[in-house]
Amino acid sequence: MTPEPAHVRETISTFLQRNGKGTDSLDDATSLWGDGLELDSLDAAELSAVLEDSYGRDPFSVGDAMPDTVGDVVGFYAADAG
Amino acid sequence: MSTETGRVVIVTGGSRGLGAGIVQSYLDSGDLVATCARSRTDEVARWQDDPATADRLLFSEVDLSDRPATTAFVNEVIERWDHVDVLVNNAGVARDGILGMSRDEDIDLVIDLNIKGTLHITRQVSRRMLARGSGHIVNISSIVGLSGYRGLAVYSSTKAALDGMTRSLARELGSRGIYVNSVAPGYLRTEMSHGLDEDQLQQIVRRTPAGRLGEPQDIARIVQFLTAPENDYITGQVIVADGGLTA
Repeated sequence: MTPEPAHVRETISTFLQRNGKGTDSLDDATSLWGDGLELDSLDAAELSAVLEDSYGRDPFSVGDAMPDTVGDVVGFYAADAG
Repeated sequence: MSTETGRVVIVTGGSRGLGAGIVQSYLDSGDLVATCARSRTDEVARWQDDPATADRLLFSEVDLSDRPATTAFVNEVIERWDHVDVLVNNAGVARDGILGMSRDEDIDLVIDLNIKGTLHITRQVSRRMLARGSGHIVNISSIVGLSGYRGLAVYSSTKAALDGMTRSLARELGSRGIYVNSVAPGYLRTEMSHGLDEDQLQQIVRRTPAGRLGEPQDIARIVQFLTAPENDYITGQVIVADGGLTA
């Protein structure tokens, strides 16, 4: 089952709150890294595991390119629907 | 020793010897125990037939060096019990002999299972622990990884590698509530005192301050201590349990 984009954003938001990171501007263009959410490598592994737990697969573990933005993560699941 | 019941525990290589002793310990403390090994043993059959343990034991015939099979085993545990609280990396294989005479196949066999297999299942399980923000991992290494032993260069290498993995993972995962330690047993009276004849074993006993070989329960008690829910401070350590042999 393909998750709704809103659900994916909510999962990311819940993860960020759990890790004490701000979520004021969680739009598609928000970077996951230094100039945005400031995830480090362990944060990324944790988010990857949370997404896999929730949806069975995650964009960090598939393919060669890591997602750069929130939109990349949401788009990974949206692509399943297409 | 454990004061908590109902944890989900994975013990690799739990069908005989030390692994079976660790499985028995967690079953005794009321936990849900999943274990894998290359073959089913009478011990596994006994757990599966005993109404007191049958529902709390999941056994799969898995060779840990087979990554897809290992992944399927972890997924089966998650499907049945939702998560993993404790991972005990016990599975290991040894091929004794002078390194200069070792065959490539034997070296690969030991490294594929002891290191690569252990890294793979730890990766799978630690991801689940990361998603929950809690967990305990214990790697069963060996005093031969610390002190060496003639004829066990490959096996010793893999056990030393596990201790390195313990220290690195402890640093990597400690901030997420996941604690990682090693237990390095000395010589136990199990099938893993491989290649040692009775005279050699008696020599070891004479040199051991405790005056005896180890038993699986000696190690299981330490594993229980390290994986108790209240242990949230000891991490990245190698606990030597050898009756004082290497003191």
